[in-house]
Amino acid sequence: MDDLLAEFVAETREMLEAIEGEIVVWEADPADRARLDAIFRFVHTVKGNCGFFDFPHLERLSHAAENALAEVRAGRRSADVQLVNAVLAIIDRIGEITGTIDDGSSQTADSTANSADELLIAMLDQDAQDKDLAEQVEHHEPQAPAAAAPGTSAPAVTPRSIRLPVDLLDRVMSGVSDMVLARNDLARRLRASGSEPAIDGPFERLSAILKDVREATTKMRMQRVEHLYNPVPRLVRDLSAELGKQVMVDLAGQDVEMDREMIEMIRDPVTHIIRNAIDHGMETPAERRAAGKHEVGLLSMTARQTGNRITIAISDDGKGLDIGKLGKKAIAAGLLTDQEVSAMSRDDLHQLIFQPGLSTAETVSEVSGRGVGMDVVRANLDRIGGGIIVRSKPGEGTIFILSFPLTLSIVSGLTVGIEKQIFAIPRSFIEEIMHGAAGAVEFSSIGAADLVTFRGQRVPCLSLTRVLGLSESKELQEKTLLMVRLGTGDLFALAVDQVFDHEDLVVKPLAPAIAASGVYAGTTLLDDGSPILLLDIQNIADQNGLVSEVRLRPTDPDERQKCSAAPARPIMLFIGIDGRRRAIGMDLVRRIDVLSPDAVDIEGNRAQIVIDGAILPLIGIDQQARDQIAAEGKIKLLRLSDGQCELAYAVSEVSDAGTIENEIVPCEKDLSIEGVTLIGGLPVPIVDGMALFAQYGRFETPHNPLTCRLPADDEWSQSMLRPLVEAAGYRIINSSDNAADDAADVTFVMDQADTVPDDSGIIIRIHSNENAPASPESGIYRYDREGLLAALMDARVGTK
Amino acid sequence: MMNDLLVMTEIAGRRAAFRAVEVQSVLEIENVSSIPRAPDFIAGLTAMRSRSLTVVNCRKSLGLPAENAPDSRAAVVEIDGHLYALQVDKVEDVTEAKSAPVPINGGFGEAWERVALGMVETAEGPALLIDIAQMVAGPPAEMHPIGSDKGPSTIAA
Repeated sequence: MDDLLAEFVAETREMLEAIEGEIVVWEADPADRARLDAIFRFVHTVKGNCGFFDFPHLERLSHAAENALAEVRAGRRSADVQLVNAVLAIIDRIGEITGTIDDGSSQTADSTANSADELLIAMLDQDAQDKDLAEQVEHHEPQAPAAAAPGTSAPAVTPRSIRLPVDLLDRVMSGVSDMVLARNDLARRLRASGSEPAIDGPFERLSAILKDVREATTKMRMQRVEHLYNPVPRLVRDLSAELGKQVMVDLAGQDVEMDREMIEMIRDPVTHIIRNAIDHGMETPAERRAAGKHEVGLLSMTARQTGNRITIAISDDGKGLDIGKLGKKAIAAGLLTDQEVSAMSRDDLHQLIFQPGLSTAETVSEVSGRGVGMDVVRANLDRIGGGIIVRSKPGEGTIFILSFPLTLSIVSGLTVGIEKQIFAIPRSFIEEIMHGAAGAVEFSSIGAADLVTFRGQRVPCLSLTRVLGLSESKELQEKTLLMVRLGTGDLFALAVDQVFDHEDLVVKPLAPAIAASGVYAGTTLLDDGSPILLLDIQNIADQNGLVSEVRLRPTDPDERQKCSAAPARPIMLFIGIDGRRRAIGMDLVRRIDVLSPDAVDIEGNRAQIVIDGAILPLIGIDQQARDQIAAEGKIKLLRLSDGQCELAYAVSEVSDAGTIENEIVPCEKDLSIEGVTLIGGLPVPIVDGMALFAQYGRFETPHNPLTCRLPADDEWSQSMLRPLVEAAGYRIINSSDNAADDAADVTFVMDQADTVPDDSGIIIRIHSNENAPASPESGIYRYDREGLLAALMDARVGTK
Repeated sequence: MMNDLLVMTEIAGRRAAFRAVEVQSVLEIENVSSIPRAPDFIAGLTAMRSRSLTVVNCRKSLGLPAENAPDSRAAVVEIDGHLYALQVDKVEDVTEAKSAPVPINGGFGEAWERVALGMVETAEGPALLIDIAQMVAGPPAEMHPIGSDKGPSTIAA
């Protein structure tokens, strides 16, 4: 809170300084609209901030001044001498109070509001034209500074934070960068002159210190969005309490880093939007209930870094913008005609909110609704090269999306090389990096366009060399592919010769002549001091028609047909234990497992593996190979399934996923493969899943086994009969499990028992007299294994 | 303008002067990294005290053919917050202007007119005072390929 308070004081002081000139001009010419607006904004901001800090008197003063000025702005009152004097007196008083707050006695400062303040407010009153009042003020006025004097003369407390001009920070930063460059130069020279221990030690120390200083200076400029978010919950709480609404805040993206200056620039706009959202957007709990919504409204704020822009979205689930009212206001203000408004789309009408002087608020509250705000918000964002859009749905809510450049911020970048030149790409765009020669990557040229097939998806492929108009000296296969995901969700591959490193780059704007080419977003210096360019990925994609619908460039219709006629069959490429490349249909592969070779059991032609307690047939491996793998300590398996049974296929490496696009040439001699196809220019045998399962597959026990009821209290049944029945594939239900609804398919009845617990299924009677004849009435002798199994088998057939 | 200091240079064999107040320094250019797809008169980027500079070839900016390599020293100027290094044939001395810049009858010629602020008299004789903003702006698009014999007449045909 202390920090915030210090910010408040500093901000108010800065504003006061800035406004001083305006006041003088306004005094000379009270009709000057621009000055009036500036002063109005000042008191408006002070009022807003006071509400936040709970300085009721300061707030009353500024609110009174704001009210009076609003009247003047609306043309209902003229700025006469008395009003000007009163406003000026209030502004002076605001300055005094601010000073006292700064001296530490924050609460007392505000509460020292004396009768003079009341007089100041009274003076604003239109009817209070009598001179006595003015005179009274004159008498009172000297008291105010006197009251503040003891505070100001007291020794100042050491400040915990200071405000610095940003260009000073810039100077420090560029100084530190220079030091790094000088250090690098020195390092080169030291290396060239050979090792000198007397110098090396101190030099190391210097380097370490420099690194720390550099990090610290970098941090000086950067702030997490958190700093922007911190006051929000309190602001929302206070506002909603004041307005009798219930609002919950949801903040996301706190860790996005932004230029400190940027945060300061958007702090006011964001505050204004939040105020507006709660004041106008959110309904009261009763209204929300009536609309079938949750009583508590939700205000959410998210920050994202997309490429070289930061996006902050502020949304509420309130009643949405009232376009009818916006239109009427615009007409009333003379901005638009009836016809114009009726011809406008919803979206365009929403944008009217950014027009100066338009506000949808019906009543002027203390919070907002004076038409200050949204126009100023947009002006502020324009100034930093940002933008704002609004989307709203009646009854559902409104979202404001603020976006602004990252120009001065640090971009996490990837340095890449083409034809001996280095460029940087914002890392946020890059989803994956892979080599053109990787098994998973496959190129095809469709017309003049290059496509790359990546994880079964065909994506356009651009060569950076060609994008930059340089002559190509490498094949795409020899290049490294960056899979680039655009903000719009479009994916494309950018081929570069080399990928060097990840670096944090301080990006500076480009000279207009270079920026005009549209392929660069900025320039930055590498650690060795050489300048490189940051690529404008979004624009490059745009120039090449890769954004949104235009996924494929128009191509020859024949080729296009050919392309769509053969739907690509997804396959998995792998290298077998024998080192040969093979492929298998992706739909057969359930998962890839890595297990210990101990789980493998090979004997003669039989190879099995234990996976998750189940024994599966193992293919693709023999005893000799197993021994080799045992040394490695792990075995990689493809687990194949035809939907009913599972097989394990041992492989030495899984290359990647791909698709079959070329013809499969059958091979009659080798029945274990479907045939051979060309993938990435190499022949790959495709394992025939059908033959595989026909040979090795075995049906597992059905998933829903038959149930068998055994007497739970009979020891023999549990110890002797149970394993036998379970081995026959039955699930055991004990008769004591009192589950009437769980009818068993087979029920064993002991000769001693007279009652049959469950007669819904087949009943097998068991007796213990070895010599008794086997008959349906007496049942089966308890040690007649064959008889029991036969009975169980019969039962299975019978129930099916 | 009288007694102003001028940085004297030579561009395409002609004496050209820059206002010394506009020239931040004279830089010995070591490495220029070229910029693919940038206009022809932009030679590339170089660095000075951890800032990037856009290197402008003055001959090409005038639409004149660049016959011989420019001087390794370049004049550094700042326009709208961007730093530029202006490559000229030769950077000479700093001298004092002996007159205000004046236009000459008949103009300075097609290539020079755009960048000319006027003629100034110096101790070393008259020189053309250069408008640096025009110099870094480069040739207007239509007269861009002046060296390559593609005049408006061929376009009309």
